[in-house]
Amino acid sequence: MIREPQAEISWELVRKRNFVERLKAVKGGLDVIRDLPAMIEAGYEAVPEEDFVRLQWYGLYHDKPKLGYFMMRVKIPGGVLTPAQLRTIGELSEGFGRGHGELTTRQNVQLHWLELAHLPEVLAILARDGMTTTGACGDNVRNITGCPVAGIDPEELFDVRGLLDEAAAFFIGHREYSDLPRKHKITISTCPHQCNAAEIHCIALAGVRRDGRDGFGVRVGGGLSTWPRIGDDLGVWVPAGEALGVLQAILDAWRHDLKYRMSRAKARLKFMVHDLGPAGLRARVEERLGRRLEDGALPPPPDEEFDHAGVHPQKQEGLFYAGFPVYLGLMSGTTMQRLADQVAEFDGEIRLTRRQNFIVSGIPGERLAATVAAIEGLGFPLAGSGLRASAIACTGDPFCNYTVAETKGKLQDIVEHLETVFGPAADGLRINLDGCPHACAHHWIGDFGLQGTTLRERGPAGERLHGYDVFLRGGLARGAAIGRPVLRRVPGPEIHRVIERLFRAYLEGRQNKERIQDFFTRHSDEQLGEIGLGPGAALETVETGGDADA
Amino acid sequence: MLEPLFGADRRDLLDEFEAGQLAVEFDDATPQEMIAWTLERWGPRAAICTSFQAEGMAILDMAWRIDHRVRLFTVDTGRMPQETYDMMEQVRARYGIEVEVYFPDAQRVEGMVRRFGPNLFQRAVEARLLCCNVRKVEPIRGVLERLDAWITGLRRDQWASRANIRKLEIDHEHGGLAKVSPLADWTLEEVKQYNEEHDVPVHALYAQGYTSIGCAPCTRATRPGEDPRAGRWWWEKNAPKECGIHCPIETGAFEHELDAMLNPHRGGPRETVR
Repeated sequence: MIREPQAEISWELVRKRNFVERLKAVKGGLDVIRDLPAMIEAGYEAVPEEDFVRLQWYGLYHDKPKLGYFMMRVKIPGGVLTPAQLRTIGELSEGFGRGHGELTTRQNVQLHWLELAHLPEVLAILARDGMTTTGACGDNVRNITGCPVAGIDPEELFDVRGLLDEAAAFFIGHREYSDLPRKHKITISTCPHQCNAAEIHCIALAGVRRDGRDGFGVRVGGGLSTWPRIGDDLGVWVPAGEALGVLQAILDAWRHDLKYRMSRAKARLKFMVHDLGPAGLRARVEERLGRRLEDGALPPPPDEEFDHAGVHPQKQEGLFYAGFPVYLGLMSGTTMQRLADQVAEFDGEIRLTRRQNFIVSGIPGERLAATVAAIEGLGFPLAGSGLRASAIACTGDPFCNYTVAETKGKLQDIVEHLETVFGPAADGLRINLDGCPHACAHHWIGDFGLQGTTLRERGPAGERLHGYDVFLRGGLARGAAIGRPVLRRVPGPEIHRVIERLFRAYLEGRQNKERIQDFFTRHSDEQLGEIGLGPGAALETVETGGDADA
Repeated sequence: MLEPLFGADRRDLLDEFEAGQLAVEFDDATPQEMIAWTLERWGPRAAICTSFQAEGMAILDMAWRIDHRVRLFTVDTGRMPQETYDMMEQVRARYGIEVEVYFPDAQRVEGMVRRFGPNLFQRAVEARLLCCNVRKVEPIRGVLERLDAWITGLRRDQWASRANIRKLEIDHEHGGLAKVSPLADWTLEEVKQYNEEHDVPVHALYAQGYTSIGCAPCTRATRPGEDPRAGRWWWEKNAPKECGIHCPIETGAFEHELDAMLNPHRGGPRETVR
C-alpha cells in the first residue's frame, strides 16, 4: 500500500509537495535579513509567517505565546567562549531579554523574550564580539560541536580546534550550504572518551591516527527526534587536511539528491544512510570527490559516557581546567557577567558542555583554589551535585511552543527527590527530560528518558493533567542503543517515585558493575512496569500494536 | 458529561517508536491509503473531526468510499452559521451517515455567559480564548478521550510554521491517541479539485468569500489578496499569532496559548537560575 518513490524527481515536484522548499524558492532563509527593517516597520502582527520561518536561519523562533517575542540561539562552535563573549551574552540577556540564558545540549546559548525591533542591534553586538546566530536553526549546518576540552586535554589524540573553527567559518552563511534539505548536525572530536555524542549526529569525525598522521574515522546518519537512529561507520579514514572537503562531499551527495527534498519528514541525512547503507553513501561521496577514500574504521567505543567534570591538569604546563555543574542548564545574565569577570582575570575560557554545564579552562595552578572557590560561590558547587550536572531537560515551559508538559521545573522536582532519597548514589545518573517528541534533551538515550504527554483523565477543574512516557535501555558509548518507551503516561506527580523505584531496583539488583542500561535490558517490559509502578498500581503499560490496557 | 462512545475504555495506542517509524513509511502514502490503514486498524475507535471545510469534506468522501461505516464528528458551539447546519443535512443526505454532533457543557456555557455576557469574545483576547475553550475545545477534548485515533484536515502549507507535521503522529496534547492528517502534503487546489471531481458538498460560505469557517460572529469573508487570518477575530490586537484557517486545537497550539495567557509562569523552575 505504500507507493514506490518516483523514479524521476524534479524541482517542480519537490516544490509542489514540500511547502518549505517552496518557501525557500520564493526567498531564501538567509535573504530575510535584508527585510528585517521593513518587518520591524510593519510590526509583528503584519509580518507573514513565512518570514518568521525564514528567521530560523538567524537562530530565531517564536517564544510562547506568539505575541512578538523570540528565542535566539547563539552558536558557539565547539562550545568555546571568551570571557568577553560570555559577558556580552549576559549583557544582552539583561538589556534585551529578561535576564537569563540557557545552555543547550549542542553547546549553544539561548536567550528569550527578545523583541523584533531589537534584533538588528542584538545581532550587531554579537557580530562585534565574534559571535553569530546565522544557521543556528533552519535548514543549515547547525552549531558544530566537539569535546569541550579540545586543545587542552592531555589525553586527546590531537588538537582539532583549527579544523572545527575552519569548518564552522566555512559553513556559516555559505549560500550553497544554507539551503539544505533539512537541519544538519556535525561534531568533530579526538576526545578519548568520545564525549561528544557522535552516535546521534548526522556526521561525526572521530579522531584516529594512522602511521603518525592525524585523521578521522567518520560516522554518518545518526539522529533522534521521532525517528531515532544510531549513526553508522562510513568505513573510511580521512586525513585531517582533507576533512573539510569530505564533509562538503557528504553534504553535496545529500543535498543534491532530490529524493531527500520531497518531504521534511524524511529529509535528514539519516534517511539517506538508512536507504543506501554506509557503503552506498560512501560510493556517492567518492563519486563526488572523484577519488577513493582510504578504508578505515571508527575508534572502539568507550565503556561509559563522560562529561569532563571536576578539576584536571591541562596539557599546557601549569594550567588546569575545572568542570562545573549548571543546575537545569540555566544561568542568569548577572552570573554570566560575574563568571566572565572571574575568568578574565587569568585570560581563560568558558567551554560549554553538551550536558548543559561549563568548564573553565586556562586556570594557572597558583590561582586554582581561589578561582574554583569563587566560581563555586556563584552557585556552581563542585562537590555534592553530581546529579545536578548529569540531569538535563529541554527548554520547555514557559517558552517553547511545542512542549506538552513542564520540563525544567519537573526535572527540579525529580532531582531534589532523588538527592533526598539516594544522596551521592544518584550522582551521574543521566535523566534526559523532554517536553515533546523533538527530543532536544535526548530522551531516547538517557538512563531515564522522559517525554512529556497528557493524561486522558482531567483534573478536578477540567484542566489538562501532565504525564510522562518513560524510556529505558537507551545510551551512548559501548552498546549504544535507542531506548524504548516502557512505561506510558505516568502522571506528573508520580514520576519521581517511578524513577526512584526503578533506580533502587538497579542499585540493589545490579550484577557485578553492570550499567543501568544493561540492567534494564535484561529485564522485560512487564518486569520493569511492575517495579516502576510499585505494589498495587494500576497504571497502563505500553502495548505495541495490540489491545492495550493492563 | 458526554456519554462514553463505547462501553469499555479499550485502547489500542501506538508507542512513540512505532509511530515514528510508521510516519516515515506513510509519508509517501496517498490520503486514501492513509485513511484505509487508519480505519482498518482502529475501526470505530477512529473518527474524522470536521467543521465542514473543504479538507474535512474531502476526507469524509474518501473515507466513505472505503468504508460506509466511517464516523464523523463535529462540535456545535451554539454560534454556528446557518450554512454549517445546512452542511450537516447535506452530509446526512449524501452519505447516509449520522453526523455526531457534540455540544458544549451547558453549565459551563451558562456560567460563562452569565458572568461575561454573550459577546465576551469581542472584549479581550483572554475572553475570546475562554469562549473558544468552553464552546469548542472542551467538547472536542471530551470526544478525543474516547477515541484511539482522530483524523484531521491539517495541511503543511496552511501555516508556514506547520510545515513539519507528519501524516501520523501521537497526539500528546490529548492523552496520546493517534492523530492522522491524510492531506498533509496536499495543496488547497488539490483538495478543491478532488471535491469537484467527486461532487463533494461544499460549504456555502466559500462562495461568499470565506477562507475559514468557524463560529458566525468570529468569522467573516476576506477579500482576494487579503491575509486569510483577517477572516478570524479581525478586531483583536495582541492575540497569539496563529493560522486563521484551521482551528489551532488540531495542532495543540490553542491549549498552549490558553495555558500561557492564563498562567504565564507555569512550568518554569523555582528560584534556580544561578
